[in-house]
Amino acid sequence: MQTKGLKLTDVLTTVVVAIVFGIVYKVWGPLYYAVKPLGLHLDQLIYGMWFIAATVAYLLIRKPGVALLAEVAAASGEFLAGSEWGLEVLFYGFVQGLLAELVFAAFRYKRFDVAVVSLAAVGSTIASLVVDFYKGYIDQLAWWNLTLFIGARFVGAIIIAGVFAYSLVKALEATGVTQLLRPTTKEDYDSLDK
Amino acid sequence: MRWSIEHKETWLHETNPTVKLLLFLPMFIVIVFVHNPNVLINWTIGFTALFMSFSGYRMKHMLLFFVPFFFIFISTSLSMILFGKGETTWFRFGLIHVTEESFYRGVHLGFRTLLFAIFGLMFALTTKPVFLFYSLMQQAKLKPKYAYSFLAAIRLLPIMLEEFQTVHQALKVRRAAKAKGFRGKLELIKRYAIPLLSQSIRRAQRIAVAMEAKGFTNERARTFYYELTLGKYDVYLFVVICMIVAMGYYVADAFPYVPIKDVR
Repeated sequence: MQTKGLKLTDVLTTVVVAIVFGIVYKVWGPLYYAVKPLGLHLDQLIYGMWFIAATVAYLLIRKPGVALLAEVAAASGEFLAGSEWGLEVLFYGFVQGLLAELVFAAFRYKRFDVAVVSLAAVGSTIASLVVDFYKGYIDQLAWWNLTLFIGARFVGAIIIAGVFAYSLVKALEATGVTQLLRPTTKEDYDSLDK
Repeated sequence: MRWSIEHKETWLHETNPTVKLLLFLPMFIVIVFVHNPNVLINWTIGFTALFMSFSGYRMKHMLLFFVPFFFIFISTSLSMILFGKGETTWFRFGLIHVTEESFYRGVHLGFRTLLFAIFGLMFALTTKPVFLFYSLMQQAKLKPKYAYSFLAAIRLLPIMLEEFQTVHQALKVRRAAKAKGFRGKLELIKRYAIPLLSQSIRRAQRIAVAMEAKGFTNERARTFYYELTLGKYDVYLFVVICMIVAMGYYVADAFPYVPIKDVR
């Protein structure tokens, strides 16, 4: 049945999907500072798009390590496409992917529902906030402003990297393409015996 | 990605990509733990000078690359300037509260982002992705299955762009290329994403089968089309970075621009 580790097929599919999102991440940059209306943090509502590669790749391929690889690959794609943020996207990508991966690991890679991916989105949000804490002195913002900032980022992350990612993969399932990707399950074997 | 833009090859292009990455990445951590704006301003000047002198690109192009940096400088510093904590009030209007402390902190953040951006640009413009991944396999012992997956994925980008245009035109003909509201926009993204992703996945599967057949999964000793080594230019880069870092500290101490040494 399932072999240990990722095969070339898994890696390649993950990376290809992630690079598509890497391009999205890149064009998301200008959008992000275009909707930044003088610090009222509406921009934080769309921040969640930068977590979506991890959750989508995990839902598609359903194997350990995919979420981290996808987020790192998407960040690399964004970086190589000439991101305005430069090298820092690699750090953000790594920690965001890592926390999403840990959430999936906590459920032992057995759950693929909207609650788990939303939780992974929350994990990525926490990761990004930790880096922001060191990099952006966000603790030095006035408290009401900081609350708005964090709140908006969590809400946006759950909507985009959680619920939207889930509905995206559901739509992809309808095309039948996901059957190529997922490891065979016990149900598949059982259905052969019927 | 941008190697199609006309440029000269300088010694920065000759440095080993892995070494360059290993020199630039730790700078992120170093910069995050610098709280003196004077140091950051000096480093920004130093590394901009390095980039401008040795990237090999035309001044016209380099100035164009800097345009988005202007926006991120403003956008990162502005929230902190307008809403940051501080004691010495300069200006207050409703929720906006500009203080001396928050102003310098905001400017400091702006320079920090600028520095990351310059490092990123310097790396991206002087490194060919192909050499980066070959070098990561040879110097950093990255497993070939990861490196070749990245290389294959990068090669697929032009096909994806073409497909994107096809989908865009198809949607336009059906008057489905626009949508209103946040929900509508998400639906719109889906309309584009589903065909692009499903096609990419199918293509990735086919390529993976071909690559496996040709032995790209081979994890043991293998030969490479491009052999990348370390050279004198890697030492130059290391020395130049050390010099800029040290000079930045020295000048910040001897001739400070702003009277603040710690913005926290």
